[in-house]
Amino acid sequence: MKKILLAPLDPVHDIGLKMMARGLEQAGHAIALLPPDLTPEEVVEQAVRREADVLLLSRTLGYGVAEILARFIDLADAAGLRDSVKIAIGGMAIRPELAAELGFDAGYGPGTTVEEVVCFVENRNYRPDSTHSGKAKRDMTAGYDYRYRHPGIAAKLAAISDIILEWVKDKTSPGVERAKLRDELWDAEKWRNRQGDGDLYSRYPALCGDIPRQYYAAGTLHPKTRRSTKEEVAGLERYLAETKARMSVKTLQHTRAKPLVFVQYGTGCPFMDIGHILTSEAWGADGVVHFDPSWGARTEGFLDGFLTHQEDGTVITPANMNRIHQALETSTLWQIRAHRGLNTPETVVLAGKLGADLTKINICYGSLGAGTDPERMTVDGYHSMLYARKYNLPFDVVTNEELCGVPAHKAFAGMLIVGDLAVRLGARPILQPLFAYSPEVMVNGYMADNYVDFNAAKIQALRKIINSPIWPGAPIGFLTQTEDRVQSAMATALHACLANSLAVDAISIASTDEAYSGGPISVPARIDTLRAVQEGFRFFGRAEIAPTDKAGAYADQIVDGIEKALEEVLACGDFVAAIHAGALGSQAEGAYPGRNGKDTVTSKKR
Amino acid sequence: MAKPLEQVMDALDIETFFVCASEEEGRALMLSLLKAWGFKDVDVVFAQHEGPGVRVRGRAYVYRPADKYRWLRAEAGQEGALS
Repeated sequence: MKKILLAPLDPVHDIGLKMMARGLEQAGHAIALLPPDLTPEEVVEQAVRREADVLLLSRTLGYGVAEILARFIDLADAAGLRDSVKIAIGGMAIRPELAAELGFDAGYGPGTTVEEVVCFVENRNYRPDSTHSGKAKRDMTAGYDYRYRHPGIAAKLAAISDIILEWVKDKTSPGVERAKLRDELWDAEKWRNRQGDGDLYSRYPALCGDIPRQYYAAGTLHPKTRRSTKEEVAGLERYLAETKARMSVKTLQHTRAKPLVFVQYGTGCPFMDIGHILTSEAWGADGVVHFDPSWGARTEGFLDGFLTHQEDGTVITPANMNRIHQALETSTLWQIRAHRGLNTPETVVLAGKLGADLTKINICYGSLGAGTDPERMTVDGYHSMLYARKYNLPFDVVTNEELCGVPAHKAFAGMLIVGDLAVRLGARPILQPLFAYSPEVMVNGYMADNYVDFNAAKIQALRKIINSPIWPGAPIGFLTQTEDRVQSAMATALHACLANSLAVDAISIASTDEAYSGGPISVPARIDTLRAVQEGFRFFGRAEIAPTDKAGAYADQIVDGIEKALEEVLACGDFVAAIHAGALGSQAEGAYPGRNGKDTVTSKKR
Repeated sequence: MAKPLEQVMDALDIETFFVCASEEEGRALMLSLLKAWGFKDVDVVFAQHEGPGVRVRGRAYVYRPADKYRWLRAEAGQEGALS
C-alpha cells in the first residue's frame, strides 16, 4: 500500500483527480485528496507533512502551465521531496513531453486511464491488455432466416433462380476449372509446411492467361510487381513481433453491438497493407477487406510467390494472402473479394483455404459494372456460391453498378436475384446497398434536402422484402467525401451514424483520402475516419436519426421498381439475355455488359 | 532514438494557413515549402482559399508501396529516408 497525495494545481478543476483517487483507493492504496486552489507551496508543505510516497498533481487550465509546473518542481527540490517521492502531473493542459522536460516522473494527458496511473504508483509497466476489450469475431448472418416478407417478389425470384439453375447446370469455364483444381489438389496446410503444391501446377498453367502462364513457364513477373526480398521478410517478422507485443484493439461501437466497421486495404504492397491493417485494428476496425489490382480481375489465373505491386491493389497469391492472414488480430474479420472477374470461383476457394471469414460475389455487378462477360460471370458466380457454402464463407452482394448510373431498384433486383440463388444453394448472402450520392440521386434530386431519406429508404425497402443481413457500403458516403479531411471524416461519420440508427449489421468505411487521387491512402487518413465514426457512435448511442416522410415514399418506389425489373427478367425467359437486354441496368443508364471472358463458357464433359 | 523520418509509415502531411491572394498561390507556397525541406515526392492534398488566405494540406510521401521501408528493416542504423 502506498500513501498517495492528490492535489489539483488549479483554481477549480479536480474531476480527473477524483476519478484517479477512487481507482487508487479500490486498488488498496491510502488516499488523500487536497482541495483545489492551493498554492504550490501549500501542496509541497502537505506532501512533507503527510510523508506521501506518491504525489499526483493535475492541471486543467493551459494558462501559465509551464511556469507553475517549473516552480512546483523547484519547491519540491528545495523541500527534499525529489529523492523520496514519485511525482506525476496529469490533466487537459499536460503533455507528457513537457512533464518530462520539467523533471516530473510522469506526465499524463487527456484520455489517461486509471489503470495507467495505478501502474505508475505500483512501479509496473502499463500494457493495455487486448483481451480486456472483449472483442471477438462475430457472424453477421446469425439470426437471419432469409424469409421473404413480400410474396410477389419471392415468387419472381424463385422463378428466376429456376431459370438460372437450369441454364447453368451443364456449363463450365476456365475459372471454374481452375477453382476445381485448387479445391481438389492444393492443400494449404501442406503448402504452409513447405510440402509443395501437390499436382496443382502440372495442370494449372494450361488454364491460365498469358501473364500467369509466362510466370509458371519462365518465372516472368507482371511488370508492375517484384518479389519481396529475404531482408524485407526478416524485417516484417521483426516488425510484427514488436508491434504484436504492444498491440491492443479498440471497440468503436458504444452501447449498440452493431454495425461492425470494415475498412478496405490494398496498397499494392503486403508489408504496407499489414502496417495499415494493424493500425486500423488498433483504432477499432472490426474487419478488413482485401482489394486486388484491377488487372487481376481481367487475368485468367493467379500468380504465385510473395509479390509486391507498385500500384493500387495487392496481388492475390497464396503467399501474400497467407502473410496478411498471419498478421491479423484474432478478433478481425477478413474479407477477400471474389465478385467481379475471371478468378471469382478460385478466389473463394483460396479465401476458404487460407482462413478468410467472408467473401464477395455478385454476378450482376461483375457483368454490368466490372467488365466481365455476363455468361461467364453467371457460370463462375454460381460455382463461387457453391464454394462459399463449402468453405462456410458468407458473402456480400454489392450493388456498385449504381455508381455507373444504374438506378437503385435495378441494382437491388440484381442483388436479390443473386441472394435468392445463394440461399437456394445453401450459402449465406449479405445484402450490400450503397449509401452513396449516386448518379440516380443527383439526377432526380433525391438528396436535394438531406442524405438521410434515400439511404434510409434503401434499408426500409430491403426489409420489406426479406429478413436478411444488410451491410451498406462500399464505402458508405461514396461521392459525398471531398479532399478536405475534416469534411471527409465528418461525411463518413454521419453516414455511419445513420447506419447505426438503422441497426444494419455492418458498414464499410473509407479513409479521409477517399477523394484524393494523387497518391496512395496514408495511414493517418485511415485513423481519421475510424476516430470520427467512434465519436459518432458515442454521440448517438441508442438514439435514432429520424428520416422525413419522403423515406417511406422512396422505399415504396424502390420496392415497386424491383418487382418491375424482376418481371422484365422473367419476360426475357433467360437471365443472361435479360442482362444484355438491360433489365438490370441498361446502356442508357451507364451499364455495359462486360466482354472479359467472352466465349469461354463451355459445356461440361459428361 | 530512431531517425524520425525513418519511422514514418508512409507519408508526412503538413497543414497550415498561408496568407495569400489565391488558392493557386497557396498551393505553390506549400509545394515550395515541402521541396525546401528536401522532400521530392510532394503534392497538395487539399486547398481552400477564402479572403484572408488559404487553408492547405501538403503531403510528402516518404515511402510509396513497393519501396523499401526503413521501419521494416531487420536491423537498426541505416541512413536517413530523405535521400
